[in-house]
Amino acid sequence: MQIWNWHGFFIYLTNRYIFEGAVTTLWLTAFSICAGFVLGGALALMKRSRHQIVSLPARFYVWFFRGTPLLVQLIVIYTGLPKFGIRLDVVTCSLIGLSLNEAAYLAEIIRAGLNAVPPGQIAAARALGFEERQIAWRITFPQAMRIIVPPLGNSVNGLLKTTSVTSVISMEELLRRTQLLVQEHFMVLELFSVSALYYLAMTSAWDMVQRRLEHYVNKPYARPTSSRANAPANAQALPDIGQDAR
Amino acid sequence: MIVFDSVCKHYGTFQVLNNCSATINKGEIVVICGPSGSGKSTLIKCVNGLETFDSGQITVDGTRLHDPATHLPDLRRRIGMVFQGFELFQHLTVLQNVMIAQRVVLHRNKAEAHERAMLLLQRVGLADHAAKYPVALSGGQQQRVAIARALAIDPVAILFDEPTSALDPEMVAEVLAVMTELAQAGMTMMCVTHEMGFARQVANRVIFMDRGEFVDDLPAADFFDGRCSDRAGTFLKRILSH
Ligand SMILES: Nc1ncnc2c1ncn2[C@@H]1O[C@H](COP(=O)(O)OP(=O)(O)O)[C@@H](O)[C@H]1O
Ligand SMILES: [Mg+2]
Repeated sequence: MQIWNWHGFFIYLTNRYIFEGAVTTLWLTAFSICAGFVLGGALALMKRSRHQIVSLPARFYVWFFRGTPLLVQLIVIYTGLPKFGIRLDVVTCSLIGLSLNEAAYLAEIIRAGLNAVPPGQIAAARALGFEERQIAWRITFPQAMRIIVPPLGNSVNGLLKTTSVTSVISMEELLRRTQLLVQEHFMVLELFSVSALYYLAMTSAWDMVQRRLEHYVNKPYARPTSSRANAPANAQALPDIGQDAR
Repeated sequence: MIVFDSVCKHYGTFQVLNNCSATINKGEIVVICGPSGSGKSTLIKCVNGLETFDSGQITVDGTRLHDPATHLPDLRRRIGMVFQGFELFQHLTVLQNVMIAQRVVLHRNKAEAHERAMLLLQRVGLADHAAKYPVALSGGQQQRVAIARALAIDPVAILFDEPTSALDPEMVAEVLAVMTELAQAGMTMMCVTHEMGFARQVANRVIFMDRGEFVDDLPAADFFDGRCSDRAGTFLKRILSH
């Protein structure tokens, strides 16, 4: 038996079945991060509430979903719900499991972002006659995004790889399809290398997007170096935690 | 324009505002001074509902603050406020800072808001900086933008809470110049400040606060010509010796 089959490697690298698995991984990630962000945002708002009736359920949710493995959550959704008469297909179960799990992590990230907005900014908006809802959309959220984007980017990166956990409920994403081919053709190293390359390509592409996003949200806070002496001492310029945080 | 009627406020058992009554008429410039912790910021924030008070009444341009029918955002859009820490919106350019309330609160169209913002920036001498973000400006420049932002909603009065206290000494004058110009243009102003030169030259009246009380409420000339209380005299001596 050969140690490494180049021919096989290149065949799989351009294999349509594998490629479509990677595409599945991409949209699983995209959907889960978006749904997780919306749900996580709601949880973050609930957690910030002064009323325990509102904040307690959110705290319980985050505690539960961060405290149990995604693998277990997926299996419970996939095998548990049918016992209550709720029968969902694999794709739906995967999307639900990933989104619910991601929401718990994003809730914490979003909450930290919201808390980082200086109260004075909100007072200034109130003094101008903004309604609370207008303050949230025009002031709090845009300013919080600067704090949220770096860890959010890490979450996307992590999620690209975490989607592979859905293979346990036979979701045919990249890793599952790789494993299926391995069972047929036994080219373990070649196939998993192809799969790793796909993951690398996707995370690298995301890295570029994230760098742009970070540049965008940090633009207002970047002091022009030429007029540094001109800048006030008390400006709230946070250190650039973007790239170094990873 | 602004009427305080027996305003009281407590933080727990600590009384921050003690039976404060005064009237600020249209076009008047009233300076509030007093030792740190005497309740000046609390008082001024009560005027536009950024702080609540326990009893008494504040009436702004005919609208009562302690009235369930008063929708605070409606009241606030008639009063400008300038903060000690500037509080320009950090994620917006100077121009956007002066435009945003016009767009969001007053629903002016873009062209109109832009034109008004540029006029105001010219008035405070910062039209050249319109495209910059606040971090790129000095403290004095930021405070002048903050004044332009407050003026952009066409307020009937402006509240200042120690507008020059966070500034380096060389920047105080440029902000006071803008405030003086405003005063001469007939704006109603309620101004917490320790700039006694400004108070003497520009203010109509000085209210001296101590431990939550209005100790003196005198025409500026009388206040500075020794007709103030002993407490105010001591306070004046202390800050003028610095
Ligand atoms: N949120 C608060 N809780 C308790 N005490 C407060 C609070 N805000 C202000 N105070 C107290 O109220 C007093 C008046 O504060 P402030 O109005 O800021 O005074 P000034 O502006 O005159 O320096 C101070 O003694 C301060 O410690
Ligand atoms: Mg104060």
